[in-house]
Amino acid sequence: MSVFDAYIRKVEEYVKALRTDGQEAREFTCRETHDRIKETLPVRVGAKAHEGIILRSDTYLELGNPLAGSCAFVLWTENPSLMDDGKITLLGPDIPESAGESLPFAQVLIVGGEGLTERDHESLVQHQYISDRVEGYMIKSAPDRVWSRVSKGAAEKGFDFETLGKALVGVVKSEEPRVQAMEILFVTASKEAVQGLANLAVQIRKISKDIVKENWKIRGYDIECAADCSSCGEKQVCDDIREVIAIRKRKSQGSDTGNKGT
Amino acid sequence: MALSKEIKELSIKRYKEERDWFKLNLEGAELLGTEEGELSARLLRILLESKERVVDAVVNEKPFIGGYFCNAPEIFTSMGLPWFMVMETPFLAASAPFILEDIDGAEEMGLGGDLCTAIRLPIYYIENNMMPIPTCCLGLIYPCDGAPMLHQVLMHNSNWKNVPLYSCDPPYTSDERAIEYFADELREMTRFIERHTGSKLELNKLVEVCERSNKVYSIWQEYMETRKNVPCPHGWEMGGAQCFAISQCFDVGNPKSVAWFEQLIKVAEDRISNGMGAQTKEGWKEKVRLFWFDIMPYGWIFEFMPWLEEELGAVIVNDMFGNFPYSLIDTSSEETIYYDLAKRNLVDAPMIRQARGTAENFAEDIRRIVKDYKVDVVIWPGHMGHKDGAATVGIMRETCRELDVPFLHVGLDLFDKRYTSIDEVKDKVVTFLEGHGFI
Repeated sequence: MSVFDAYIRKVEEYVKALRTDGQEAREFTCRETHDRIKETLPVRVGAKAHEGIILRSDTYLELGNPLAGSCAFVLWTENPSLMDDGKITLLGPDIPESAGESLPFAQVLIVGGEGLTERDHESLVQHQYISDRVEGYMIKSAPDRVWSRVSKGAAEKGFDFETLGKALVGVVKSEEPRVQAMEILFVTASKEAVQGLANLAVQIRKISKDIVKENWKIRGYDIECAADCSSCGEKQVCDDIREVIAIRKRKSQGSDTGNKGT
Repeated sequence: MALSKEIKELSIKRYKEERDWFKLNLEGAELLGTEEGELSARLLRILLESKERVVDAVVNEKPFIGGYFCNAPEIFTSMGLPWFMVMETPFLAASAPFILEDIDGAEEMGLGGDLCTAIRLPIYYIENNMMPIPTCCLGLIYPCDGAPMLHQVLMHNSNWKNVPLYSCDPPYTSDERAIEYFADELREMTRFIERHTGSKLELNKLVEVCERSNKVYSIWQEYMETRKNVPCPHGWEMGGAQCFAISQCFDVGNPKSVAWFEQLIKVAEDRISNGMGAQTKEGWKEKVRLFWFDIMPYGWIFEFMPWLEEELGAVIVNDMFGNFPYSLIDTSSEETIYYDLAKRNLVDAPMIRQARGTAENFAEDIRRIVKDYKVDVVIWPGHMGHKDGAATVGIMRETCRELDVPFLHVGLDLFDKRYTSIDEVKDKVVTFLEGHGFI
């Protein structure tokens, strides 16, 4: 059992709940093998497919502006049977029907492969930022979310979430040979619908940080101070600071002169 | 106890000299006749106005603040208080002609040559009454151990000992609980400022400043997106450093700063539309894209960066201060404002972001920036004061190996060109870039 299996089920339940509440869903299927996907898409996909940037004046629509609602994460498992390989689900409006809009956006990539381990985690997470691999699609540099743009040119060629989903499947499967199955969820319905996943993402980020920490440890690096209070020679200093904070809080209604000298 | 007229006048002597140095720079920028020259001129005018406000406050005994970046300047800006950064000289005026003399002065005081020059200089200024003495002071006890040492100096200096000091307590972690804790610290900071300056924070004014600040940050991010273009529309002369200085130091949430950023993005977009890179000289070509993972070498920037760009075609496409991980401030309530200001000042801001807590941001930032900005080489300058970063060189190097991007660790002082001579730095860079076949 992998560390994210429970979250894969939570995402599934979340989608089910939204659909039960009347949220319309569209489903697409990517049946092609990853080396054939590119041939079926209206835009170029692969290394250096989009080298330039999309200026504001060339933008057809924007996805995942933090003010509109934004969230992205990757869940992986060593059990590919937990997902429907090639399934792309969209909850909310698609790209062609949203010209000039700034849509809320959540992107969840679920990948499965029998050989996947914690060591693959960082590399898999990086794949959600598909960056310069899709013609007419640009991801802005913002941590922990996908905030992106679709160009007018790509929209004219028929770029939609089916295209984006298939492009992601193609890129991930070709660059991570151990990925056997992949499912994608896109949500553009509302800020609230995205927020529900953002709440899950907080927990997922915590797990992710722990995995990263362990991976560095395996390589011989401690990325955080490993000492605890009981073994630390500076415990008295911290205890004094806590005491000072407590005094300061008690005095906070008075007319003290800040924390000078403490 | 009121300060004597003589002490007050002396305390702003160096500050006025710095101001005059920038006036001279302004005259130069106005003569350039380019759009970038005009941007520099506007920036310098904003900077000079900020300095004049501080001089006016000293002369006319108005309340003003000594602070840092990462003290949520939106709060005291909305209270109408002038302020300056205690480390302003090394950060923003390190190219001034008196810097080397002042560094020598700091050494003569007995301050070790291994203490960060950005900390040695303010200690020297405080101890020699060469810094404006504020009504109250806001400290920054992170990201490095040297900063608390500076605060100890200003707590014990005879002219400063009656200046109330408040330093927010930064948690080690960056989770929700840590941000909420730091938001409380900022609330306490607000009460401290109110008590000692007599100014009151009005929520509607704070909202106004934060909304303008949001505009500035949104355009800044848009601008950073343009720097991903190949060729990069600007090099070392215009970028993160200037954006940071305006948005967090000189003119927080002011309409003039919004206008400056609007002009900046327009210029960058025009350059991209016209296929222009960092240099317009005929035959010049962007050959290698660099990520300079630190502050720019302000003490000797004019002797190094033009050479790097013009001679080698090596363009700094991003640096630590241009890295943009900022979230916008939700102005819907006082609670959300303080929460987002806490996040911005505890988690997002440069140096703090990398060096305060766990070391993973060093690796994560490199990973993302190399990919997004199509970086060919990562340079860790290895500033002598950045011991926090020195401890993570191995992590940075490993990350670059994984990404198959060359990593150069130099070892220098960003403010003092005598630590590692400029010729030696140039030699290291040339050898490295030649060795990797970029030039």
